[in-house]
Amino acid sequence: MKKHTVRFSLNGTPREITVNANELLLNVTREQEKLTGTKYGCGIGECGACTVHVDGRPTLSCLQLAVAVDGAEVVTIEGLAKGRELDPLQKSFLDNNAVQCGYCTPGMIMIGRNLLDENPNPTEEEVRTHMRGQLCRCTGYASITKAVMGAGKCATGDFKIPAE
Amino acid sequence: MSATQLKSVGDSSWRKDGISKVTGSEQYAPDISVDRMWYGRVLRSPHAHARIVSVDTSAAEAMGAVCLTFADVPQTRYNERIVSTPPCLYRDRTVVADKARHVGEALVGVAAPTEELAEKALRSIKIEYEVLQVITTIEQAQKDGADPVHDTVLLNGEDKPIINNVAVQRTIDVGDTVKGFAESDFVIERSFKTGRIYHAQMEPKTVICQPEADGGITVWASTQSIHNTRILLGQIYGLPLNKVNVKKVALGGAFGSSIQMNSVTPIGVGLALKSGHPVKIATTREEDMHDHVRYPSEIKLKLGMKKDGTLIAGEMHAFEFKLKQYVGLGGTFWGQGPASKCIIRSDGVPELLKTGAELINWDKRPKPGSQTGRMRRGIGMARGFHTSGVGHAKASGAEMIDYSGAIVKLNEDGTVDLIQSLMDHGGGTNHAISKIVAEELGVPNHMVGISPCDTRTSLYDVTTHATRGIYAGGAAALKAAKAVKEQIIDWAARVLDVLPESLVIEPDQELGQGVIYCPNLAERRMTVGDLARYLHLNSLGTISSSQSMRQVNCPPAYVSYYVDVEVDTDTGQIHSRRAALGSDCGTVVNPALASGQLIGGLSKGQGYALTEDNQWDPVTGELASKGFWVDGKTPSISESPLVADIETHFAHTYEPTGPFGAKGLGEAAKNPAAAAFANAVYSALGIRFYELPITPEKVLAALAEQAAGKTARAARQAPAPVPVAE
Amino acid sequence: MYMNTNTRIVSPEFDFIQPKTLAEAFSLLEEHGATAKLLAGGTDLLVQMKMERQQPSHVISLAKVKELEGIKAGDGLTIGATTSISAISKSAPVKARYAALREACNAYSTVSVMLMGTIGGNLCNASPAADTAPALLVHDASVILKTAKATRKVPLKDFFTGPGKTVMQPGEILTAIELPEPARGSGSAFLKISRVVADISQVCAAVMLVRDGDKITDCRIALGSVGPTPVRMKHAVGALIGQRGTPEAFDAAAEIVARDITPITDVRATEKYRRHVARIIVRDALLTAWQRAAEGAAK
Repeated sequence: MKKHTVRFSLNGTPREITVNANELLLNVTREQEKLTGTKYGCGIGECGACTVHVDGRPTLSCLQLAVAVDGAEVVTIEGLAKGRELDPLQKSFLDNNAVQCGYCTPGMIMIGRNLLDENPNPTEEEVRTHMRGQLCRCTGYASITKAVMGAGKCATGDFKIPAE
Repeated sequence: MSATQLKSVGDSSWRKDGISKVTGSEQYAPDISVDRMWYGRVLRSPHAHARIVSVDTSAAEAMGAVCLTFADVPQTRYNERIVSTPPCLYRDRTVVADKARHVGEALVGVAAPTEELAEKALRSIKIEYEVLQVITTIEQAQKDGADPVHDTVLLNGEDKPIINNVAVQRTIDVGDTVKGFAESDFVIERSFKTGRIYHAQMEPKTVICQPEADGGITVWASTQSIHNTRILLGQIYGLPLNKVNVKKVALGGAFGSSIQMNSVTPIGVGLALKSGHPVKIATTREEDMHDHVRYPSEIKLKLGMKKDGTLIAGEMHAFEFKLKQYVGLGGTFWGQGPASKCIIRSDGVPELLKTGAELINWDKRPKPGSQTGRMRRGIGMARGFHTSGVGHAKASGAEMIDYSGAIVKLNEDGTVDLIQSLMDHGGGTNHAISKIVAEELGVPNHMVGISPCDTRTSLYDVTTHATRGIYAGGAAALKAAKAVKEQIIDWAARVLDVLPESLVIEPDQELGQGVIYCPNLAERRMTVGDLARYLHLNSLGTISSSQSMRQVNCPPAYVSYYVDVEVDTDTGQIHSRRAALGSDCGTVVNPALASGQLIGGLSKGQGYALTEDNQWDPVTGELASKGFWVDGKTPSISESPLVADIETHFAHTYEPTGPFGAKGLGEAAKNPAAAAFANAVYSALGIRFYELPITPEKVLAALAEQAAGKTARAARQAPAPVPVAE
Repeated sequence: MYMNTNTRIVSPEFDFIQPKTLAEAFSLLEEHGATAKLLAGGTDLLVQMKMERQQPSHVISLAKVKELEGIKAGDGLTIGATTSISAISKSAPVKARYAALREACNAYSTVSVMLMGTIGGNLCNASPAADTAPALLVHDASVILKTAKATRKVPLKDFFTGPGKTVMQPGEILTAIELPEPARGSGSAFLKISRVVADISQVCAAVMLVRDGDKITDCRIALGSVGPTPVRMKHAVGALIGQRGTPEAFDAAAEIVARDITPITDVRATEKYRRHVARIIVRDALLTAWQRAAEGAAK
């Protein structure tokens, strides 16, 4: 199998990597790039845990060949906070206790961020429509809905992660 | 003490693992990798029941892979769940099996330097099977001449024969039911069936095992109990426990699916020991879906009651399809409670029922069968409980192991480390317990950190199961915190030159510290941090305590459900529209998270009641879903009621045996769900359903019968209570 | 043997090629022949490869073939094959004139799949459950099939030949979908029944009605998940054309649909349930489309 060189931007950093044609963006991100925030949940695009942004578009990285992101901008959950400033949606997830086991959280936040980019003040119906592909077994979704709807109230930089 | 005086317990500040979870830096077992790590895969049986005639791994080995077959693993059988004591622990498993007992049974482990090579090696393995009778029903299994799935089962070292595939029968008799039924005014008899529910925890089971230079192993695993995993691995592989170190990592949900040691855990260890390399096995979703499930059950119930509704006699025949490894592994799922006896010392049920009824407008509920349009609404209620833990072994009669440990230590700057092996499945148990420690010590909540730990640096904790986390685990941590507080007071009394009895500790939010002071001598005060520094700089030692305890009671955590459904009588679909969920968990330690657990219970309960059933093909024993989540059908955000239409409320109770009055919540949150939904459907349609899930197909069939005005209704709706002849 | 699939990875090996023009794509298809697969959004092909139902030697990505993407409105509508489902659902002309298509796109599993998945991919997979197919059938769509040398236009009703099968010949690429301008006074609608909202349909149905006063002058009805291919219903349509658009007439037509379809029982639904709800959603879609036709005529 031919190896491919893929040049892309990962969370704002230019990367040049070598991959096999059959490698998935999910596995390249997690194993080669050691960014394990993006999760494998079902492998067939049914749960949304692997959601990342490719050129600003939510993408199921378990169904995305890595070779095909050549030239693209990829953002994972690790790239959402600006330095030590949480994204308003991340803060809103904490404020609304929308995190339980946390395994679905990165995917939830990535798709929620995409909705808020398009529509900063979504209605509940819009949230439900946009997030119907993200499964969560812990929360029953109410806190997550509140977090997405309430993110507009959290300005960027509202909260800084304490220095280590 | 009333809950209103509490400072940390009961607040809804950010959970302590929250930042790492929202930024993607939290490490779950699938996120762990170590240097020189190999990748493992498990070859699983495509047959529901087959003897392994031969296994040829030569091609895999020629590729450089290491294989683990039945011949390579210890042959002594074990039980993967060790919360019971040996006299009631039935052992029937080996690391990999010599016989396939369900589709997906683990038969051979393979490890190789890359995941791709492991995959190729797996596919090169040749197994010759002798296919045996597929048994998918209780009736088939018990027939004379049915192929035995297990020939024997090991109990307390004794190999016990299995007749007609029944390994264990348990009869529980209390009182005189003959007399009770004779004295009843009414007797009703009903049969119920429940579905086969996949846990659908988001994290597929994973293990990483690193062999150590001294012959020991370090293990990261998806588990509800790092200590039970350690004990089992030690027993299976003949390792002393001080050479088995299981690390605590975040758990991506469990719902009972990791009470036992997961099937891949000992396989990963076997591969690591054989290859000499660290080995990681991260299961696929399809493997996971074959590996655990809530047992389907059939229950026959007979109840005798007085005219006023008082229940005075009951008989229940329950067949849980617990025939392990028949056509699918079983496991416990939220809500399958232990048979424990508890002492009720706090009871919020009357309050829950009253509040819930008001929130849902119970008095205005539709009269069953009174509606005629296409869309019909119905309100149903049910209540239930789960014990908080399993209580005292002798009292429960079930010989359960149940104790927790905790280490609390004061750091040199006044912060506190809580070291506890108890796992948090996501509900916020560890966060809650850290608040209990902060409350007791009188320091602000943020001063108590939840320490990473492993089995070598922590005390034993049985398992986070049976709704015991806060009640049992929290009590152990409270015991350690009390001991630490006593030492803090003793030292502070010496430093401040006052009597220990005169000192109190309270959190000072401005200072961000606990302050130790003497209420009637204002100048005699210091912060906990000052004291810690003083002890450190004068080499006076570390204040700490390591405590272990068993809760002797297991108080019921009560939950009430009022749900409002809308039934589309044209499509048979049932929509969940409103819910009022009440919990009596004693003092509420994490209010927002507790509310979230209730709503999560509603979501799981709705799936159980209306849509989910991970059934197998009765002929082949293959899962209808083939393990692909596309046919798993767990409820999504779209199936949930609107946020404003879900109310949660808590009883104002105080459990005297619980830490700061707290009881459990976890599993109880789901227990009444199915009954509440079935009752709501009855309210909407005037039709009773006794079989889960209540699918659109079943609704349409029942409506057709109802419309036909047939007496068939009588068959579906079991007979009305029969007056007992005088 | 399904048991040992691995959805964590794509285990089959293949070569990946990403042509920039259609001409390049044709020569690659010719070179690698029948063992090559075209990749559009990947939400189906990758799943099929993980489930080991497809094992191509070469995967030819159409992502960089820009001429395949986009929506052109004029007299009717031309939709490039690699246009995402999401782009179609948001398109102004689709919103204004092709209600059934828009509703089918919005009913399409999840937002991420709508963004990744393409209309050409949805049709070429030829799933009996493809949501867009019944909608396109009632909009009387045709597909443009091209080779390096020839172009042919195939009405969508003649496109599907079985589950996963179409009339496409080796070397052909579906480049676009053409929809004629809807007739004056027409209205359309799409409805879907599934176990949960984000799911493959148990049954889906699209209808189109042309209305002249209270008379039905033209009509199309198509269903998915009720037979080996998405299918247009002839008898029911015959029973409606020329009739007055009444609830009774729609009910009768829906009954004919329920009789004519050939559903099976599978993991998603029983045959009986499919027949029952097919009748319900066809009736409901007809009522909606009838209403829309009136609103359209009023504009």
